[in-house]
Amino acid sequence: MSSPSTEETERETAESRPKIAVHNLWKIFGKNADSILGTDSENLDHETIRERTGCTVAVRDVSFDVAPGEIFVVMGLSGSGKSTLVRCLTRLIEPTGGQVLLDGEDIGKADAHALRELRRNKIAMVFQHFGLLPNRKVIDNVAYGLEVRGAGKDERYAKARQMIEMVGLSGYEDSRPGQLSGGMQQRVGLARALAVEPEVLLFDEPFSALDPLIRRDMQNEVIRLQRELDVTAVFITHDLSEALKLGDRIAIMRDGELVQMGTPEELVGSPADDYVRDFVADVARTDVLTVSWLMRAPAEGEPLDGPVTAPRTVVRDIVPLLAKGTAPVRVMAGDRLLGVVGRTDVLRIIAEDQEDPEQNDLPATAAPTADADTGPDRATGV
Amino acid sequence: MTVVPAASGIRSGPPPWLTSRWTWALLVLAALLVGFAILRGQHSFPDLPEAYQVGPFFDRIYDWVVANRNTSPLFLYGFNYLSVGLGSAVILINQVLTLLGWPGVVVLGVFTAWRVAGPRIAAFALATFLSFGLLGLWSEAMTTLSLIITSVLLALLVGIPLGILAGRSDGFNAAIRPVLDFLQVMPAFAYLMPMLLLFGIGNPAAAVATTIYAIPPAVRITAVGIRGVDPGALEAAASLGSTRWQLLTKVQLPLAKRTVFLAVNQTLMLAVSMVVIASVIGAGGLGDAIFQALNKVNVGQAFEAGLAIVLMAIALDRVTAAAGEGDRGPGAASGRRGLPFMLVGFLATAVAVVVARLAKIAEWPKSWTVSVAEPINQVNDAVQALIGGATSALGTFTLGWVLDPLRTVLTDSPWWLVVLAAAAFGWVLGGWRIALVGGLSILATGLLGVWGLSMDTLSQVLVAALVTVALGFVMGILAARSDVFARILRPVLDAMQTLPPFVYLIPAVALFGIGRIPALAAAVIFALPPVIRLVEDGIRGVSPSATEAALSQGSSRMQLLTKVQLPLARSSLLLAVNQGIMMVLAMVVIGALVGAGALGYGVVFGLAQNQLGLGLTSGLAIVCLGLFLDRLTQSAARQGE
Repeated sequence: MSSPSTEETERETAESRPKIAVHNLWKIFGKNADSILGTDSENLDHETIRERTGCTVAVRDVSFDVAPGEIFVVMGLSGSGKSTLVRCLTRLIEPTGGQVLLDGEDIGKADAHALRELRRNKIAMVFQHFGLLPNRKVIDNVAYGLEVRGAGKDERYAKARQMIEMVGLSGYEDSRPGQLSGGMQQRVGLARALAVEPEVLLFDEPFSALDPLIRRDMQNEVIRLQRELDVTAVFITHDLSEALKLGDRIAIMRDGELVQMGTPEELVGSPADDYVRDFVADVARTDVLTVSWLMRAPAEGEPLDGPVTAPRTVVRDIVPLLAKGTAPVRVMAGDRLLGVVGRTDVLRIIAEDQEDPEQNDLPATAAPTADADTGPDRATGV
Repeated sequence: MTVVPAASGIRSGPPPWLTSRWTWALLVLAALLVGFAILRGQHSFPDLPEAYQVGPFFDRIYDWVVANRNTSPLFLYGFNYLSVGLGSAVILINQVLTLLGWPGVVVLGVFTAWRVAGPRIAAFALATFLSFGLLGLWSEAMTTLSLIITSVLLALLVGIPLGILAGRSDGFNAAIRPVLDFLQVMPAFAYLMPMLLLFGIGNPAAAVATTIYAIPPAVRITAVGIRGVDPGALEAAASLGSTRWQLLTKVQLPLAKRTVFLAVNQTLMLAVSMVVIASVIGAGGLGDAIFQALNKVNVGQAFEAGLAIVLMAIALDRVTAAAGEGDRGPGAASGRRGLPFMLVGFLATAVAVVVARLAKIAEWPKSWTVSVAEPINQVNDAVQALIGGATSALGTFTLGWVLDPLRTVLTDSPWWLVVLAAAAFGWVLGGWRIALVGGLSILATGLLGVWGLSMDTLSQVLVAALVTVALGFVMGILAARSDVFARILRPVLDAMQTLPPFVYLIPAVALFGIGRIPALAAAVIFALPPVIRLVEDGIRGVSPSATEAALSQGSSRMQLLTKVQLPLARSSLLLAVNQGIMMVLAMVVIGALVGAGALGYGVVFGLAQNQLGLGLTSGLAIVCLGLFLDRLTQSAARQGE
């Protein structure tokens, strides 16, 4: 099927090839959903399609790549299609159109057996409501994935114990999920996903059902484990602060479409439209933007003897430096001067942070970390 | 809520009383009475031409079956095999029970009850077994037990896989649902005649009737259990690459285990009630003992056998109910049901069997029995002497002033007027589709050739249902308002709901002798528990914030009841009416065994005299009435939502 030349290019690009590539993915719920794709009606908006055909477009023409080892966050409000999107990746929900490639292999073409092998060995998922089996002990829950792929009892228990230790649940092997707190249950869910040593981890709002403090612990846990195990992760959330904290890149979804995709800094620094702007309005930009985002060429006559900082430093961290002296902070990559950031530059974005909420008639105290469930809703005035 | 479509939405239209369903219902009733007064006795249901009569047609089928039972391949290789197989299964299990002897059965049974359900229920099981022996009904009880075991095993063997299918496939579920609905509307009595036709009289026919009767809940509850499994757990298991079989065995079945045990429990209870009724088609055992005793109007004897079946029903119910709840705590079950314990149980049983053989007491010794029939009869006579006057006066009054007039109205009105009235009620309660179903099902009873019997049955059902609903509502409301009353009532209702319907005839006969009145009394007692329970649950289920708000605005208790609780509990109340009427119908036809006549008598007489035509047409007419009453009350309930 593929000519030698394409094989060659594939080999060449293997290094930089995305772990997951999603091309023009569609998911339409309803009868005759297939008949909508490829016709003019596919360009109609959400409501019109529902009125005309009774079908609901959950994911609309979504494309993105996830690089190996990256944490890719998809965020959006409830009903934006993000949970459907992540289920389409392993065909827990069958996509209506488009392609999902894992290491260049089209998952859509896999037969039942191949798909099962994929789920057993390569991709594992962590769910919002944990999805644990209440009748099984913790260790049997963690070992479930190994059990269904046919591992013997000793082997799977050894692996499961290791995973339970890794997520900090040693001593609870013989408990039932019902006896554990929500946070601990999700640790079981995480251990179960990790036990099959997947290359890709999918998270579907895994921490939404948890208390804020436990949520923070779990986020740190995910960052730690992802670095340790070097897996690729797709993380679904409706919590902006969680997205900013975890995501190497973030995609924002709305009505099934990707509105903007980029690094946290890009989203906060230059929102693509009003929707995204509303979303990030409550974010303290000093916490997200780096000096390289803010820096400019030194103005004429400006003193160049100020403190030095690295390009990846977030703006908040140079505030103390600026407070000590009047000279702008120099952003240096090694010996090279990339640019400078002065007091007025920093003050300007601090001022903007404080203005935004008022313009939107929002309480100025709305810290994005306060409550994930209401945070984004408030930001968009929904 | 308004039924007349044209009137709804027009505010300045007719006054509200004109659009009320009650007004229209009363109008229909008035029209029926006027028609009755004018055309009394004139338009009775015409006889169909000979060629189109249903009864004789069935009679011809019966003749054919009798003539060809041993030659037609359908019977030779089909039903006869099934019949022989089932018969041998029943006999085999009975033989095993005989082989064990009563000591073996008692040890095995009590040990199982202890392991599964704990010491209290084991003690109850012991008392139950001993009562079989003491009452001199050991072998009858074992026959009944063998029949129950055979039919339950069969029903589960068919029902649980079907339930699993229905739980996993929407298409199959949609296909099987109407069948189950239909089977559940059919009163037990209607099952008997076709079984007799296919399997002849005796235990095989009884086993098949019982099996078919007990399958629907097995399918339905299993499907509900499978569907109720947490979709999150299922999805998570699928995301880890489980096959469909792994999903079933590792997720769906384990998580639905308790519900499946409930299905087993319900199947068992239906089997118990049917096995007793099936004595009419030759099932031996306790049911037969009751049947014989009732025929002789020997209350004491009926009481003995009734007590035995009641104890058996309650013991079986408690043990299987406990089996479903057994595995709550971690490791609780494995400790109690482990292999060593099973070995101990078998060993103890074996020892009991051997010892009993050596001591020559494998059969329950005659000298160990205590007959309570005579004392019971004496007590009964004494009670009769004391209140007999009152009960018979009540009976005569009901008969003369309520039952007979109503029957006269139904039988002597022009038949077309009754059909039209049935359709009109259907229209009032549920629109034109229900009107069609209602009118046609009443018409069908006439076409079947049993119009008179059907109207007789209908009059009995209506009166009994009225009494049931009135009593049930009052008691249900009282139970909802008084925790003390509810607490006293609950164990009584629990016990009553486990009893097979047949048993209810015994006290009714004791109080009212034979005839239509005891059948009505039995029907009322039989149907009361679910009505009371649904009414109580409905009222207690009313959101506390609604009652709180009403109280805070100064409602009296009566206002609270009539303006808040009853309207909000509406759908439960209507469901209570539906359940009550259906149970009354089932019981009223069984009442034929104590002289209630009507359709039930058609079935019994047909069964007894091999008159398939009469038996089958009566059975079908019962189904028609069931359909009519169920659809009407159900659509009323649906409109209430």
